[in-house]
Amino acid sequence: MSAPARGLETVELPEMPSLARLYVAAARDAAKKLVGKATARASLPNARHHVVGIRPDLIKMTEYQTLLGEAKRDIAPAGYVHTLAFPAAMSVMGREDFPLPLLGMVHLSNHVEYRVPIFYGDLLDVTAWAEKLEGHRSGTQVALVVEVQHAGNDDVAWRGVSTYLAKGVYLPGTDKPGLNGQRDEFRPPLPTAMWSLDSETGRDYAAVSGDFNPIHLSSISARALGMRRSIAHGMYTASRALAEVGSQKGDTFTWDVTFEAPVFLPARVCLNIKDAVDGGGAWEESEFVGWNPSSGRRHFRGTVTRL
Amino acid sequence: MTTLRKAVVVGGNRIPFARANGAYAMTSNQDMLTAALDGLVARYGLQDERIGEVAAGAVLKHSRDFNLTREAVLGSALSPETPAYDVQQACATGLETVLGLCDKIKLGRIDSGVAGGVDSASDAPIVVSEGLRHALLELARAKTAQQKLKALSKIRPRDVAPVAPGTNEPRTGLSMGEHQALTTAQWNISREAQDELALSSHRNLAEAYERGFFDDLMTPYRGLTRDANMRPDTSMEKLGSLKTVFGRQLGDEATMTAGNSTPLTDGASTVLLASEEWAESRDLPILAEVVDGEAAAVDFVHGKDGLLMAPVFAVPRLLGRLGLTFEDIDYFEIHEAFAATVLCHLAAWEDEEFCRERLGLDGAFGKVDRAKLNVNGSSLAAGHPFAATGGRIVAVLAKQLHERGSVGGRPARGLISVCAAGGLGVAAVLEAR
Repeated sequence: MSAPARGLETVELPEMPSLARLYVAAARDAAKKLVGKATARASLPNARHHVVGIRPDLIKMTEYQTLLGEAKRDIAPAGYVHTLAFPAAMSVMGREDFPLPLLGMVHLSNHVEYRVPIFYGDLLDVTAWAEKLEGHRSGTQVALVVEVQHAGNDDVAWRGVSTYLAKGVYLPGTDKPGLNGQRDEFRPPLPTAMWSLDSETGRDYAAVSGDFNPIHLSSISARALGMRRSIAHGMYTASRALAEVGSQKGDTFTWDVTFEAPVFLPARVCLNIKDAVDGGGAWEESEFVGWNPSSGRRHFRGTVTRL
Repeated sequence: MTTLRKAVVVGGNRIPFARANGAYAMTSNQDMLTAALDGLVARYGLQDERIGEVAAGAVLKHSRDFNLTREAVLGSALSPETPAYDVQQACATGLETVLGLCDKIKLGRIDSGVAGGVDSASDAPIVVSEGLRHALLELARAKTAQQKLKALSKIRPRDVAPVAPGTNEPRTGLSMGEHQALTTAQWNISREAQDELALSSHRNLAEAYERGFFDDLMTPYRGLTRDANMRPDTSMEKLGSLKTVFGRQLGDEATMTAGNSTPLTDGASTVLLASEEWAESRDLPILAEVVDGEAAAVDFVHGKDGLLMAPVFAVPRLLGRLGLTFEDIDYFEIHEAFAATVLCHLAAWEDEEFCRERLGLDGAFGKVDRAKLNVNGSSLAAGHPFAATGGRIVAVLAKQLHERGSVGGRPARGLISVCAAGGLGVAAVLEAR
């Protein structure tokens, strides 16, 4: 377990929480806050949530592999492990003492280290906590850390850090925005691939990931949360880019993505993947970037790197 | 090394190529392949003959056509005791059937063979959606009424829509035209150069028809006596007036139009191959010898090379093995998937840096004399029924080489290259007899 989590109090969850129930509770919570006066808190929960006995299911993993274009290997794709383990982090965000509203949070970036291959049927323990509550030019950001271990093994097999932004929420005492507002000017390269995403994309990914956040499900539910139309899950785009990096990445790697303009559905997304090799010609890293071919706006960019 | 016997081209026969949803809209791959085969049988007197093997294929193929070539043989005038097999290598299918059968002839496993290919863009295999397919398969596996209901309940309205085959590359989602548009931009190929190539393809094909070149290479079918796509009267003005169709989404100035890209086409072609002894014993002509062939593939998925650039690698490997250069080639048959494809290949072979870094050569591979390129027209004018193109080219080149005879005391020599989906390319060398 990583150093920052050591001082935290462990809360054992009896099972992996359902994201659907967490969203309902969050909506109820949001409604309550409209009535009562929320007290702004500038600290994160002093707790890490721990769930044991999680097992990747073959059928669900296969459905995920089919949708994302992953080869149907027996090793769980890195993005699939995220869908399995992230509800533990969501339950941290759903705590009474979590300082930011869960609904409407924006996924800024995601970092994954896949250190030990996880096969379907492996028995896994999941630990999740929040850290790095910081100011951002348009609100407050927080990192949700999730670690996955094989049962009875101290080595972290998979580690994810998901950074989220609560837009328009400014907490007393958090750092003032730094230089993270600077964005480099983006000039689209020649694409190496193009995705045609239909309006079902959000519902399809929700079905395999369990992430039924209303902004991804339909135009109506998205509009209720202030979006023009439904948007693709950031992790759908990142996971598809990961799949398209291909078999060269091997079983263990680091996978980073930064999300920018949301992908409003339906959409065409242009993708460029650039491979880099080491002196011996072996794969070292792939850089990927996705953008809107009409507006030229960047949706996401990231890397997959040899561990 | 053991000396192998030679494999030769006796002749070829095809049906005129039709534009999709035109004259052959109601005929299947099997119908067209059988028609081309029967024409070949009639021309070379092969009724009831047991041929060593017939190899052919189609790119867009119905699942029921798992034995397409054998079924075409059974429906033809050939002996029903003629074995047959299917080949599928995207647009290189036709050329690969020729090379495979020639290898068998050279090894002595067979004495004669018919190579061929067919494709229909009109009678395309439309399939049910993946959702419906999975639900129906689950229904078939279900044992109880409850399981059957559960399977049926999984069918959603959007699953009912049928799915037509696409030309998109499975790994990139880009169509072949879009892929070529990227390569076209990378190699800076102008719209004008593409239109010029298209124009000479139409003119060369029309001239070949005028002088009766195709008279013994073609069997009329369904009212067609010439390729329906051919436009003898086209001009730079007409080609220049067409709107661009590929590359408009890709941020670069688009240059590719319906005029300098091949149209979707229906058609079939066949080539009769044999050992010299087999042809001579039957008093059949020998047009050319199939000397050698080479396949290549490129890593296009993340753009290391363009999708249709594999022939750029296959040709230098093949000529290198034979100790030949472009100077030794009298006819170049470079399949015109798009005008820009041919021009990108020519540009790459002339590019010193590319040839050094990517082909591992000392410098530029060479310059193709445009007067020797596709002298009887190619796919831009004739059309391109994917698997039928290889057979069309082999028959045309073999006849052209035979007519030319010798060049400077050696047999006239021709090079064929065909690009294909999946980053594939196949090349071959033929010599006059």
